[in-house]
Amino acid sequence: MAVTRFQFLSTFSRQFSSISNAHIVQPKLRIEEIRGKRISIFDKEYKRQQSLIPRLEKIEVAYEGFDNETTTLVMNKGVSTPYNCAQHISEHVMKNSVVAEVNGEIWDLHRPIPSDCTLKLLSMKPEDQHQASLVNKTFWRSCSYLLGAVVEGSFQDDISVTLHSFPPANVRSGSFVYDVQLSLDDWVPSLNDFRQIAATFQKFVRQNHTFQRLDIDSSVALKMFEDNVFKADQIPHIATKSSSGNTVTVYRCGDHIDISRGPMIASTSLVGRCSIAAVHRLDSRIYRFQGVALPSEIYINHFAFGILETRARKLNPARTPELKSN
Amino acid sequence: MNQADLSKLVSALRIAVKPKPRLFASPEGPAGRLRKLKATVTALVKYERIELNYPRAEEAQSYAERLISDAIRNGDCHKHTMEMADYWLDEKQLIHKLFKVLVPRYKEYNSSYTKLVLGPKTYPGYYAGTAILELKGNPFPALQPATQNYHYWLHNVLLGEAKREFRVAKAETNANLSEPVASKN
Repeated sequence: MAVTRFQFLSTFSRQFSSISNAHIVQPKLRIEEIRGKRISIFDKEYKRQQSLIPRLEKIEVAYEGFDNETTTLVMNKGVSTPYNCAQHISEHVMKNSVVAEVNGEIWDLHRPIPSDCTLKLLSMKPEDQHQASLVNKTFWRSCSYLLGAVVEGSFQDDISVTLHSFPPANVRSGSFVYDVQLSLDDWVPSLNDFRQIAATFQKFVRQNHTFQRLDIDSSVALKMFEDNVFKADQIPHIATKSSSGNTVTVYRCGDHIDISRGPMIASTSLVGRCSIAAVHRLDSRIYRFQGVALPSEIYINHFAFGILETRARKLNPARTPELKSN
Repeated sequence: MNQADLSKLVSALRIAVKPKPRLFASPEGPAGRLRKLKATVTALVKYERIELNYPRAEEAQSYAERLISDAIRNGDCHKHTMEMADYWLDEKQLIHKLFKVLVPRYKEYNSSYTKLVLGPKTYPGYYAGTAILELKGNPFPALQPATQNYHYWLHNVLLGEAKREFRVAKAETNANLSEPVASKN
């Protein structure tokens, strides 16, 4: 991914950042180096997990499609994903499916299926209310994730950007959120800054990265996120809450890796129009980035989108991160 | 106020009723108009879906609605209702259909019992066009595709919430505007 960075941050904020950098004790790595390190750990762990699959076994997947027509597909156990099933069905289904429903459970499109199951593929335009709320939530969560990915890479090197977390997806709040710590005390972004972040977001999204899910051990996760104080702090808590008690789910999209329970959308190409609406300063350099986006399948009038943008500018009422150190 | 509640005397129809009746040109005068409408109502009860010219379909719809709603309200032991059924239905076996088939079918309905759909217009042809009048719950395949609910789609959820928030804000500003006036009085 070509990382676009801001060349236009005002000299005012640059001065501030240089002062504040003096307080940071940890050695500063460039974001590409950190990302490269995370990806190498991710790849190693992925290869290790793949090598654990002894030999391919076959499973039967009953795909329930349009008009409840059922098709049985013979797939590979623990290897084939719902996306592979969609590849057998049609190009339209393959491109428009956001998430899958495996035995009634919501499932990532790029997550291997472990056993015989019934499969449904959901698009951004479902007929059922329950399915619609699941799909919308998944989309919103993925947008939060992508916002984090974009924000992390879009500042100049002398400004340290530490991703904190994103609150649970709530579509009704009107904006998706990522809480980020910046080494800037009073950063008031200009309209141009918002446009630049949105453009970076759009560029990233148009590269059609898939969301790759991996369940990793908490020790591996700690190693992966050793450069991020907040994530390293969150990992033990997340691990104890997981079903096995010691695993953390991470998602990789392009060269960005982040922790999330998921599920996420299949690919970034499903995200269409987007806008970064506001950046609110919460406390002690934690900034709340807010945006609003629509799926590529859904087009709306610019006036209607303007209404959504205006609403997204208000501070999102989601829970704010608590800082132990301060 | 000794006037009775109108809704208790006459059943409220769930269709838009025109304020004035349509006067169909007929050499027999008003009796001819009623004869035509009787034939249409009878055909509707008999076939459950008929295609005809629009004005007559719309006019007959309200008579059919009234007949069915009275039958549901009063049952078959009510003298006036039975007389009306006898008057409007030319084929007498349809009176049995009205009370034994249509009344049980529509008892629990919260909407109108008939549906009027615009039919095709032919050129050159009858200016007012045609219509298809049908009893709901008929055994034929649906005329129009089932409508999908788009309210749950992402953009509609977002716009719906924005609308709700706008209304709340407006109600608040209205309340704030009216308060100082009340305090002065």
